[in-house]
Amino acid sequence: MSTDAESRRTERTISLGGTGTGRNETGRTVGPGAFRTLALGCVLVLLASIVSVLQDVTRVVGGTDSLFVLAGTMLLAATLLARLIRPRTATIAAVTAASLGFAYYLEASGVGVGVVLSATESLLADVVTLVTGLSLLRTVEASALTLGLVPAPVFLSWYLALRGRYALSVLPSGFALCFLVLTGDADLTITLIGTLAALGTVGFGELERRGGSIAQADLLAVLFALIIVLSLSVTFVPGNATGPVTLDRGGPSSLEGAIDSAGQRSGFTGQVDLSPEVRFTVESEQASYWRTGVYDRFTGDEWVRSGQLQSLNGPINSPPGEYDVARQVVTAETELGVMPVAPQPLSVSEGAAQYAEVTRHGQVHPSTTLIKDDSYVVESAIIDSDPASLKQAGTDYPDEIEEYYLQLPEGTSSEFDDRTATVTEDADNPYETAATIESYLRSSKGYSLDIEQPNGNVADEFLLEMDEGYCIYFATTMTQMLRAEDIPARYVTGYTSGQQVDDNTHVVRGLDAHAWVEVYFPDHGWVSFDPTPGGERDAVHMDRLQEARENGNENVDTDASEGVPIRNDSEDDPDDGSSPDPTEPSPPDNGTDPTDPTDPNNSSDPNGTNTTDPTRPNPGTPAAQDGDGEDDDTNPLATTIPREFLAFTAVALVGLAAAVHRTGGRELYFRTIGLYWQRRHDDPARDTERAYRRLERLFEREFRSRRPGESPRAYVSALGAQAATTLPSDQSAESGPQPRSQGDPQSRSDAHSDSQAHLPTHSQSPHTPDPTDPRVEHVLACYEQAIYGTGVTPDDAATAIEFVDELARERLPFVRSDTDTGPDADGLL
Amino acid sequence: MTDADPTSETVLETPPADETAVEPLALSTVETIGTDIAENVSRVIVGHEDVIDHVITALLGRGHVLLDDVPGVGKTMLARSIATSVDCTFRRVQFTPDLLPTDVTGVNVFNQQTREFEFQPGPIFGNIVLGDEINRAPPKTQSALLEAMEEEQVTADGETRGLPSPFTVIATQNAIEPNRTYDLPFAELDRFMKKLHLGYPSPEDEAELLGRTVGTHPIDELESVTDRETLVRAREAVSQVQVAEPIREYVTRLVGHTRENAHIGVSPRGAISLLRASQARAVVDGREFVTPDDVQVEAPVVLSHRVKTNDRARDGSDIVADALERVPVEERDG
Repeated sequence: MSTDAESRRTERTISLGGTGTGRNETGRTVGPGAFRTLALGCVLVLLASIVSVLQDVTRVVGGTDSLFVLAGTMLLAATLLARLIRPRTATIAAVTAASLGFAYYLEASGVGVGVVLSATESLLADVVTLVTGLSLLRTVEASALTLGLVPAPVFLSWYLALRGRYALSVLPSGFALCFLVLTGDADLTITLIGTLAALGTVGFGELERRGGSIAQADLLAVLFALIIVLSLSVTFVPGNATGPVTLDRGGPSSLEGAIDSAGQRSGFTGQVDLSPEVRFTVESEQASYWRTGVYDRFTGDEWVRSGQLQSLNGPINSPPGEYDVARQVVTAETELGVMPVAPQPLSVSEGAAQYAEVTRHGQVHPSTTLIKDDSYVVESAIIDSDPASLKQAGTDYPDEIEEYYLQLPEGTSSEFDDRTATVTEDADNPYETAATIESYLRSSKGYSLDIEQPNGNVADEFLLEMDEGYCIYFATTMTQMLRAEDIPARYVTGYTSGQQVDDNTHVVRGLDAHAWVEVYFPDHGWVSFDPTPGGERDAVHMDRLQEARENGNENVDTDASEGVPIRNDSEDDPDDGSSPDPTEPSPPDNGTDPTDPTDPNNSSDPNGTNTTDPTRPNPGTPAAQDGDGEDDDTNPLATTIPREFLAFTAVALVGLAAAVHRTGGRELYFRTIGLYWQRRHDDPARDTERAYRRLERLFEREFRSRRPGESPRAYVSALGAQAATTLPSDQSAESGPQPRSQGDPQSRSDAHSDSQAHLPTHSQSPHTPDPTDPRVEHVLACYEQAIYGTGVTPDDAATAIEFVDELARERLPFVRSDTDTGPDADGLL
Repeated sequence: MTDADPTSETVLETPPADETAVEPLALSTVETIGTDIAENVSRVIVGHEDVIDHVITALLGRGHVLLDDVPGVGKTMLARSIATSVDCTFRRVQFTPDLLPTDVTGVNVFNQQTREFEFQPGPIFGNIVLGDEINRAPPKTQSALLEAMEEEQVTADGETRGLPSPFTVIATQNAIEPNRTYDLPFAELDRFMKKLHLGYPSPEDEAELLGRTVGTHPIDELESVTDRETLVRAREAVSQVQVAEPIREYVTRLVGHTRENAHIGVSPRGAISLLRASQARAVVDGREFVTPDDVQVEAPVVLSHRVKTNDRARDGSDIVADALERVPVEERDG
C-alpha cells in the first residue's frame, strides 16, 4: 500500500510541475554530473565561437590549419595540466602565451618587439582603433594577429572550467569574444551564441555547485531569452550594422551602394538599381575612370581594404616607372563620401589635402563627407601602358606587392584554378594573361543587373556557374584569376568617365559606378583592366538614364549636361568624349566596347582588344559619391528576417513561458481556464484529484478558501452548514442578494461578501455551487478514495470530472441553460 | 480489595496470545459491532455519544482509556457498560493508597497439597480491566500497570505471564482532591491511548437519566452484544485498515508541531496510538481507509494528555487544537 501511495504521489508531483516544458520531468533525473557536462559544453561552445570568428579571418588570409592545431594543442595542454598546476601558474602561463602571441604578431609585422618600448603610444592607438571597429581582416598581418589571439583564452578558459571555476573561466574567453565583437569581426549570431554559452557556463556551473534541479533553470531560460531578444532588437556594436553615411540616395540595393562600403569593404549583392542622379563633375583634359576605392583582401564574399587611413602629408608614392602627369578638378554635385580621382593620384590640392586621407594602396579618401560644390584639384600619374613595354615587364615583383596582392581565400576550388589555367594557357607573359582573361570574361559572360547573389566564393561561382553578372562580378573574378596565376592584382571601385559635356568636362552619375581591376607590372606600376563587357553595360545604363530623364527625376542633369541628348546614336563613341553625346557610354572608358576599334583613350591597349583601361590613369578629382555602405551588411539581414523573426518569436515565447513558470503564472492559468476545463489523463487518481481541486476553487469563489488545517470533507461540510443558512432564500425565491444577507448572523459576513461577488450575474444565475449537492459528495468521495484509499476506477474519475464540469459551467450564465435541469432536479431538494 | 471473580480460573485456561492466526472480520461486521456496542451502552449512559464512540474506537484500536472527571458523572458506569456489552472477562480494581503491586498482578502462593508455589493471578488478568480511581494508588502500584498495559504481560517473581487477549484497561481518575491523589507518572499516562472527559450531562439528558433510575438500574439488564473472540477478530481487521502516505505524513506533521510548540510533545507511541484510533474511527464510520477527518476527530483525545507545557495559560489540548488549526492537511505543491 505504501509503495502504491508513494508512486502515486510521485506522479502527482510531476504532473503538477509539468505543464510547460518537458524540462521539469527530465529535471528530476538530472544530477550534478549532467550539469557539469552542460557547463563544460558551454565553455566549449564559447571557445568554438571565438575560434570560428578567427577562422573566418584565417580562411581569407591563410593559417586555418595552424589555428586549429593551436587551439587543439591548447585544449589538450589545459586538460593535461588541469590537475597538475595551480591556478596562479596557469594564469602566468596564459599571460606568457598571450605575450608571446603578441610578440609574434609584432615580429611578423616587421616592427619588432622593441616597438613596445619605443612606440607605446601608437600601439595603444592601434588597439583603440581595433576595438572601435577595425576588423581583424583589415590589419596588415591578420594571420599573425589571429594566431596570437588564440592560445591564452583557450588555454585559460578550459583549464579553469575543468577545475570547476566556471565564472572565472568565462572571463578570458569572454574578454576575447568581447574584443572580437568590438573589432566587428564577430557577427550577431556568433556573438549571441558566445554570450549564451558564457551565461550557460556560469548558470549550469552554479546549478552544479548548489546541487540544483533543472527546474531551477527556468531563470536561466529567462535570461537566455532576454539576451537574445534584446540583442536582436538593439544593435550598437560598432562596425557591424552601422554603415557610415554617405548618400541618402544610393539605397542598399543601388549599384554604388554595392560597390563601396565606407571605403573599407566592398561586397556583393544580387539585383541592383542604377541611380541616374549626378554625383560630381570633372574637368580634365583626359577622360578616365574615376577611382574611389582600392581593395586587396578577398574573403570570398566581400573585398576588404587592409591597413588604415593616414593623413595626407606630402605627395603620395609615385609609380616606379615613367608617367605623365594629368590634372583634374573635381566638383561634388551632391554629398559625397569618397574622393574620385584618376589613378594613380600623386597629390591633392592644398586646401583639399587637409580633409584627405590616404590608404596604403595610394587611394585618397575624404575624412569628412564632401558637400555639394566642394571641389578639389588632383594630379595623377598616367602610367605608360604601352602593351609592348608591358609585355616586357617580366615578373620580378617587389616582395611587398607579392605579399599583399596575391591573396586568395582558402577554399578556392581547384576547378577555379584549372579553368584559369586553361583560359590562360597560351599567354606567355603577365600582360597577355591579363588581356586574355579580360577578353575571356567579356566574351563568355553576359551583363545583367538582375541576378541573384551567389552563395560561397563569388569568384568561383561566377567563373564556373553563372552566365551573367555585372561589374563587380567581372572585376572580382578577373582579380582572383590573375592571382591564381601569381600575377599581383587588386580590385578597384569608382566611376566610369561619365558623360562628356564639353571638351574638358565630364558629368558623372550614380549609374556610372563601376568596378574594375588593376594589375601590377614591375617598373610600370598598377595598370587598369576592365573585364566588364562595355557595350551591354552601356545599353543598360543609358536606358536607365533616359527613363529617368523622361520621368523628370531631379538631379539627373547638371546645367551643362541638360541639353545634351542621352543616347548616342553611335553607340560607342570613340573614346573621346568629344562625341556629341557624351552619354555615358563612352565614358566608361571608352573602352567600353572592347570590340570597338576606336579604342578610346588612347593608349591603352596595345592590343586594342580590351584593355580598356590602361588609360585610366588620369585622375580625376572627383568626389563621387559612393554608395552607401550599408548594403552588404543589411542585405543578408533583410532577406533572412522572416526566418529570424520566427526564431526570435520562439525564443521570446520560451522565455515568457519560463518567466511565467517562475512567477507562478501557471497558478493563474489553473484558476481561470482550469476551472472550466480539465484535460483527461490516463491516471484516474490524478484526474480525480484535479477535479476536486477545481471544485475547491469553485467553492473558493463563492465562500472561502479551505483553511490549511481543514480536511476536504470538513471543508465541504462547513460550507454546507454555511450554505444552509444563506442559500435557502436564494433557492426558494431566486430573488437575489437581499434576502440572503439576512441569514444567520454568524455567517453574515460570508454571505455578504458572497452576494457582493455575485451581484452582476446574480439575477441570471443564482447557481452558487451547493456544497450539499450529491455531485459534490461524489467528487469528494472519489477524491478521498484516490488519495487516502485504494484508488478510484476510471469511471468514477470520469464522473467526478463531469460533475465538476457541470458545477463550474452552471455558474456561467450562458452555458448554464444546457446543463441546468439535471442539478436542479436531483441536486437541490 | 479485588473483586474476586469466580471465573478467574477459566480465564486462565483460554490461551492468552494465540492471535497469530486470527482471521480478521469483515469491516462491515466490525462497523456493526461498533454500532451495537454504542447502542447497548447508550441504554445505560444518557448522552455522551461522542465519549462512547471514543471508548469503542479505543477498544477496537487496541488502546487503553483514562476517564478523567469529577466523581458521579458516570465514569465507572460507562466502563462497566462497555465491559458488559462484550462477553468477556471483566475485572475491577479499586485503587487505594495502600494497594500493593502484587494486589494487582497476582502472587505466588504455596500450595500445601502439591507442596509447590502456585501463581495466584491478580485482577489484571482479565479482558477488560476497570481501574477505578487509579490516581489514588501510589506510583509504586501504578507502575505495576506499566508492563501490563504496554506489553500485555505480567512479570512476577521473575516469571513472565501473558495477559489474556483482548486486554483493555479502562481507568478512571478523580480530578479533584489533588492532595489525596498521586499524579499519574507521565510514562503511564502515555500508555493510555485516550484520556476522556465526560462532563455533566445536558439538562435534557439529565432529566432522562433521572427517569431511568426509577425501578431496576439498566446496567443490571444489560446483555452482551458480542463476544471475546469476535472482538479479537475485529481488532485484527481494524489493524489492517489502510493508512495512506498522505495520512502518515499528516500525523507526522501534527506530532511535530506539538513537539515544536510545547515543553514535551507527543511521543512516537502517541503517533502510533493516533493512527490506531483513526483506523478504528474509519471503520466505525464505515470506511476502509483513514481520512484526515478521522485523524482530526481522534487527535484531541489521543494527543492532549501527552503534551506538557510550561505555560500555565495553555495546556496540552490548546496545543493540539492549535496544531489541528495550523498544520496543513495536505502538502500542497501545486
